[in-house]
Amino acid sequence: MLAYAIKRTLFTLPIMLGVSLVCFALVHLAPGDPLVSVLPPDASQAIKEQMMALYGFDRPYHEQFARWLARVAQGDLGTSIRTGRPVSLEVGKAVGNTLMIATLATLIGFVLGTLFGFVAGYFRDSWLDKAASAAAVFGVSVPHYWLGMILVIIFAVQLGWLPPTGAGPGGSEAWVWDWVHVQHLILPAVTMSVIPMGIIARTVRALVAEILSQEFVAGLRAKGLSEFGVFRHVVKNAAPTALAVMGIQLGYLLGGSILIETVFSWPGSGLLLNDAIFQRDLPLLQGTILVLALFFVVLNLAVDVMQTTLDPRIQRA
Amino acid sequence: MRAATAEAFVRSPGYWVTVLRRFARDPVAVGAAMVVLGLILMAVFAPWLAPQDPLQGMTLKRLRPPGTDGHPLGTDELGRDMLSRLIHGARISLFMGIVPVFTALVAGAAIGIVAGYAGGWTNTVLMRTMDVFFAFPSVLLAVALAGALGPGILNSIIALTLVFVPPIARVAESVTTGVRSRDYVEAAKASGAGALTIIRKHVLGNVLGPIFVYAMSLIAVCMILASGLSFLGLGVKPPMPDWGLMLNTLRTAIYTQPLLCALPGVMIFITSISFNIMTDGLRSAMDIKA
Amino acid sequence: MQRLDRRDFLAGGAALGAGALLDPSLAWAQGSGTLRVAMTAADIPVPNGQTDQGAEGMRFVGYTLFDSLVLWDLSSATQPSRLTPGLATSWNVDPANPARWIFKLREGVRFHDGSPFDAGVAVWNFDKLLKEDAPQFDRRQAAQGRSRIPAVKSYRAIDPMTLEIVTAAPDALLPYGVAWIVMSSRARWEEAGRTWEGFVARPSGTGPWRFDRMVPRERLELVRNPGYWNKARVPKAERLILVPMPEATTRVAALRSGTTDWIEAPPPDALDSLRKAGMQIVTNVYPHNWPWHFSRVEGSPWNDLRVRRAANLAIDREGMKSLLGGMMIPAKGMVPTTSQWFGKPSFDVRYDPAAAAKLLGEAGYSRAKPLTVKAIISPSGSGQMQPLPMNEMIQQNLAQIGIRVEFEVMEWNVLLASWRAGAKDPSSRGAHSTNSSYFSQDPFTALIRHLDSSLFPPKGTNWGYYADAEMDRLFGAIRTAFDPMAQETAVQRAHEKIVNDALFLFVAHDVNPRALAPRVKGFVQAQNWFQDLAPVTVG
Repeated sequence: MLAYAIKRTLFTLPIMLGVSLVCFALVHLAPGDPLVSVLPPDASQAIKEQMMALYGFDRPYHEQFARWLARVAQGDLGTSIRTGRPVSLEVGKAVGNTLMIATLATLIGFVLGTLFGFVAGYFRDSWLDKAASAAAVFGVSVPHYWLGMILVIIFAVQLGWLPPTGAGPGGSEAWVWDWVHVQHLILPAVTMSVIPMGIIARTVRALVAEILSQEFVAGLRAKGLSEFGVFRHVVKNAAPTALAVMGIQLGYLLGGSILIETVFSWPGSGLLLNDAIFQRDLPLLQGTILVLALFFVVLNLAVDVMQTTLDPRIQRA
Repeated sequence: MRAATAEAFVRSPGYWVTVLRRFARDPVAVGAAMVVLGLILMAVFAPWLAPQDPLQGMTLKRLRPPGTDGHPLGTDELGRDMLSRLIHGARISLFMGIVPVFTALVAGAAIGIVAGYAGGWTNTVLMRTMDVFFAFPSVLLAVALAGALGPGILNSIIALTLVFVPPIARVAESVTTGVRSRDYVEAAKASGAGALTIIRKHVLGNVLGPIFVYAMSLIAVCMILASGLSFLGLGVKPPMPDWGLMLNTLRTAIYTQPLLCALPGVMIFITSISFNIMTDGLRSAMDIKA
Repeated sequence: MQRLDRRDFLAGGAALGAGALLDPSLAWAQGSGTLRVAMTAADIPVPNGQTDQGAEGMRFVGYTLFDSLVLWDLSSATQPSRLTPGLATSWNVDPANPARWIFKLREGVRFHDGSPFDAGVAVWNFDKLLKEDAPQFDRRQAAQGRSRIPAVKSYRAIDPMTLEIVTAAPDALLPYGVAWIVMSSRARWEEAGRTWEGFVARPSGTGPWRFDRMVPRERLELVRNPGYWNKARVPKAERLILVPMPEATTRVAALRSGTTDWIEAPPPDALDSLRKAGMQIVTNVYPHNWPWHFSRVEGSPWNDLRVRRAANLAIDREGMKSLLGGMMIPAKGMVPTTSQWFGKPSFDVRYDPAAAAKLLGEAGYSRAKPLTVKAIISPSGSGQMQPLPMNEMIQQNLAQIGIRVEFEVMEWNVLLASWRAGAKDPSSRGAHSTNSSYFSQDPFTALIRHLDSSLFPPKGTNWGYYADAEMDRLFGAIRTAFDPMAQETAVQRAHEKIVNDALFLFVAHDVNPRALAPRVKGFVQAQNWFQDLAPVTVG
């Protein structure tokens, strides 16, 4: 097992290198002005050229990439052009904030998803299955940013029950786990949870249906195993895959939080990414993309290793 | 799912008939397929169906609610007829859902087949490159690519295509690798058949089925992703009537005309849910136990 | 947080005795209320001094935490705003050398950290922008500040309270540029490890507001500076919280749900519902200009005066105003008619399609034989108002008289890059006009930078390569008019020529709408890009 984990880890190293190259290329080869965030719009071309040289953007690409990579390897993502703050600090904080809503959303999605999935798989083709499957299809089909807008209209503007945006009265730094702050989590997390809910429900439904249709389950029943015993058997066999899907979903939510965070002004990695794109803050942009992508790579690795550990049926080469 | 579908896909003459018969027995899936067909017809015949020009508006009659005289679904922020824009929107939105997936299908299949058939170093280089792109969460990759390329239909198509090439290439590669070692392929090789002939005769038929079904399931994903890009201002440019972009530009009026602003989202939702239900039905219809 | 309103105060005053009533300062000895402002910026302007985020950054961070030598008088809503003494009490050009300026500095001004302000600190601040080998040189502040003072050649402290600035050529407009340059505390920078990263963690200036705390990307909290040197501008509110909210709908939601008191630039569509919800909508004319900037390179159809005038007469600006829910002022020149620089041009920019068609006919074009022009526009952008509907309306108006407009839609930052590069650059794609909204708060930004023949790109931003000897002479007169009244007259002459020659398609001025919660009182919206928050109270 350990050998497998080490082998998988080594295997991801070239991927990580490739990911960093793609990040750099995406950000630098794109047309556009890297100093747009610090130069006043009415500055002349002459001043712009002075500043490009001062920031080192007149150097050849391979030199800029080598420098960047060398620093990234030491954990230094550089500093934001616009604010001068270290990118690692900015991204770290933002990822932390996104993890709050993404984790909550994944948990809500997992609880509802497994519930719907189990019900649907267990009572296949009944009206319960139809209802649960409809909820699941809703989850994967609804444009969630639109759902977020609708929820803001209903719960924040019309009813006034929940705050529409932000991370609480003192910003994310003054975060405490009390109602005043937690209520800010609810709308974004609920909106976000519809995707993992749908995907987990569909996965679990298929798993449960497959396990139940296996011949030995019928055998177990014939041997007089109680319905609870069958249920336990199903849970034990479905859990590893469901947990793996949940883990991967967390990675997708983290990488895909940009729409939700734009709607709710949630100070997370998605909002940071949005800012970095529109401000063309290159160090911040490539740092954010890199961290999110590497997080996803590591998460995949962890889920893969965990799944192999939990599920002895999977034989890995 | 990958292996199961690959196994299930057998090129027998009665196969599609069986699939269709099974599909027809699922009323929900058939209903969804009708909706999809309706949307496609709406997109094709948009210029004849739309009561007005989707790009021209009377600025003095802007943001009228649904039910206004002459504008059954109201008018948008430039006074353009909502109904006409939603009808025309089906064109771009379906286009943005389907074209990237099919471009990715062609590119991904080509890469996967070449990698799977050639094996060795070619396989390693191609598939490890795919792994790098696969290492990005899809929304992140789409946003990063669209952000780098800038807004526009062509750029969005490029970005979304790149998002879907790696997963399709993976499926194609695994199926091809499986087929390559079959006896009849070995036999064909031994008899001196060229690589292209073998791919055309023995590989394509086996590979296209599974990845086609897989690609169908990506269309809804792609459409939502494309509309999300437009919503962020990274996709289709104004004044094109794209549903995602309409959500973006109507958003400022959300407090005055919430119903009007919700309409493009309803269209996206209907389209994507119909595609999902239809593909689900198709997939379970194809899941034939031999 | 608790504020006595007027009635409570009178009642309490009666109980305390008449003495309290006689001292008006007691009413706000303790600041009253917290003002929470939602800005349109995506992030908090960096509080390093020469901040970013354009005019909004200067409005909320530059001129709150910091002061410049020369300030804008923002006390009137009805008069165009003019320059007023700031950290300098007076400034004069040397009669013997018109390129040498003497700034007399204000005595007794202290930074929030207690260190004194003097000419040495002022020189140190100029060095942070201009002297690349100075330890305090800051690329970011340099990028922001350099373009404001291109004329400055050298500067030195003559004595602790006297600063000398020498310009490369005589430039009577120097004070307008100096008004941009704010003073950061040298002592705080030294104390913070001689880095700007350390400085922004605890910024210190001389402004009416002091730094309290900052959550990057989320909020900046300032508290009133009771010891501000200008007693009339000591803030009345206790605390000012600045929150970045780039999404217009998000700002509206925040105001309506009561999590903010003041939002910048509410979307026009939300104004009615905000009014119905009891919010105050404040607007005023200010030096903002939304024109089509014509290319004058060879082959441009806008080289013909008749075509330029015809286009100007073809635009239905009142119709456009109703399109924007009343949130614009029809333009009759580069500056609003209420500006001190408007003058008395003989060409009246009005809506007269018949006269427009006649003029265009004289130039050889009509609806039957239309002229085709290519115009750069952007779908959105800072200060761009509602560029798509406005440009579509212009397109329709011009089509009426026989000018067919083809749009080259560019993303805002791409448009800016092409604007900087000039009409001859390939990035301008051979277009005949560009549509960037202009800051026009001083004669240089309002007029000279667009039309001076010595400011072709890359040196300057004369995008259209306009060159005219008479115009250059008028600009020269402005630059050498050191007497403020003479300078105003010189600017009027140049502006009259610009209008008479129809050098731009004059379209609109923005009115800078803001929405304020009913409890916000005392705000006076000046005719300026900057605003004074000192008189504002929150009940």
